[in-house]
Amino acid sequence: MTAPALQLDDVSHTFDGRAALDRLTLTVLPGRVTALIGLNGAGKTTALRALTGRLRPTYGVARILGHDPAGMPVDTARRFGHVVDTPLVYPELTVTENLRCAARLHGLARHAAAAAADAAVGRMGLDPWRHTRAGALSMGNRQRLGISGATLHRPTALILDEPTSALDPQGVVLVRELVRGLADDGAAVLVSSHHLDEVARVADEIVVLHGGRDVGRLEPGGTDLEQRFFAMVLDADTRAADSRKAGSGSLT
Amino acid sequence: MTAGTALRAALAVETLKLRRSTVARVATALLVLLVPLGSVGMVALARSPQAVGPTAAKLADYAAGDLATTHLLVCGQVLSVAALAAGGFFVAWSFGRELESGTAGALFGLAVPRGTVALAKCLVALAWITSCVVLAVAVTTAASALVAGVSGDSFPTWAGVRNAVAAGLLGGGLALPFAWVATVTRSQLGTVGALVGMVALTQIVVLLGGGTWFPYAAPSLWAGMGGADAAAAVGPPHLMLAAAMAPLGAAAVVNAWRRLTNV
Repeated sequence: MTAPALQLDDVSHTFDGRAALDRLTLTVLPGRVTALIGLNGAGKTTALRALTGRLRPTYGVARILGHDPAGMPVDTARRFGHVVDTPLVYPELTVTENLRCAARLHGLARHAAAAAADAAVGRMGLDPWRHTRAGALSMGNRQRLGISGATLHRPTALILDEPTSALDPQGVVLVRELVRGLADDGAAVLVSSHHLDEVARVADEIVVLHGGRDVGRLEPGGTDLEQRFFAMVLDADTRAADSRKAGSGSLT
Repeated sequence: MTAGTALRAALAVETLKLRRSTVARVATALLVLLVPLGSVGMVALARSPQAVGPTAAKLADYAAGDLATTHLLVCGQVLSVAALAAGGFFVAWSFGRELESGTAGALFGLAVPRGTVALAKCLVALAWITSCVVLAVAVTTAASALVAGVSGDSFPTWAGVRNAVAAGLLGGGLALPFAWVATVTRSQLGTVGALVGMVALTQIVVLLGGGTWFPYAAPSLWAGMGGADAAAAVGPPHLMLAAAMAPLGAAAVVNAWRRLTNV
């Protein structure tokens, strides 16, 4: 049986007493693209922060390629990439400089980093802005740059939070091709998104998160993904309300 | 990837960020140009007939004695505070902005560990402060030599050069604990506020007569800011305590970055 490359096991987390994640279990296998979808505040980014080691969950375990993300061995870290919230992009550096820095921090030697940065510039259509400072880029190009920096070392485990939120149609296609290409090469990819159409095109599996809980899976195919998503969320809300009623009824 | 390779990679990244940093560029210009100008200018003012009343009283210590030695004395005194201020602003930017902007979160899960990144930031900050201090003293020495050549006075002494560099380096090293402050507060302005508060606290401690054992006062007092008697009271143990603040600050911030969470 193939071991999961990305894993959250029974993870719960609270912010100031409010549950952000409620016993969430999630696995992404090598070669698969799993999409995490949900409304604002559903817990998507919290789940991704726990998985990248940026947040120690109140309960449960996160694993990247079998290791605790807060203390990954170097060999494992070299095979991991992520963009959650803010990418590794410094406004005072040019596009090429940012990519070279990202490559060095991902463990590439100086010459390999320069070659990887050049390849990434071409792959993500950033050539016209190669010598432009990142602070002067449009939001979409900054997002392309962040994704390029997180993937130029060809990771085998990848996490992307809303990777197409600021992209134009060309950028969306480039990211889709990048994600599918990495997965076809055997990488496990976890993507959170609001763009249901995009999710339907790129994902092998869709996990619906609502109120910090995994409320079900959706098949990527078909034209009614939005309807099925809202039906699942409504059903989760109805069941939660019924459960609360039953709880308060048993107390009276 | 060995620990040495990781540190070299982090040093390359942090050095590039320093070279592109507006904070570092402005601070470098102020330290390397303004400090020598102020050192030579203040001595010239102290010895000019225009210095009368309160100005003459304030600059009385610089009105007599060997010209070149006095230039370097003023240079050391100014640098002992200016290097702390410049270094404090730089580490506030270097550490604080990563946490404010969110790029600290992107530094998780990399082949180069966060502790190594923090260590590289400290080493780059120290190397930059050292370069600025050495350059500021070199420019002061050159300007002093020029003035001495014109006026026929003696050439700057090496003891004066050494003391000015030491005062500047001790002051600059005191900036590193503010890297830890930036990490804990996660705020650049909060760190600058703490730096201003420390300068005010230092003044109070000196006024109360407890400056020699206070690390943030000892370098300035030793450089002569409190007069000759206060300078004589500062010995090697006091200066070693001040010098220890840099490695202690670096160790604290590296540890804080290793344990960073909720980013």
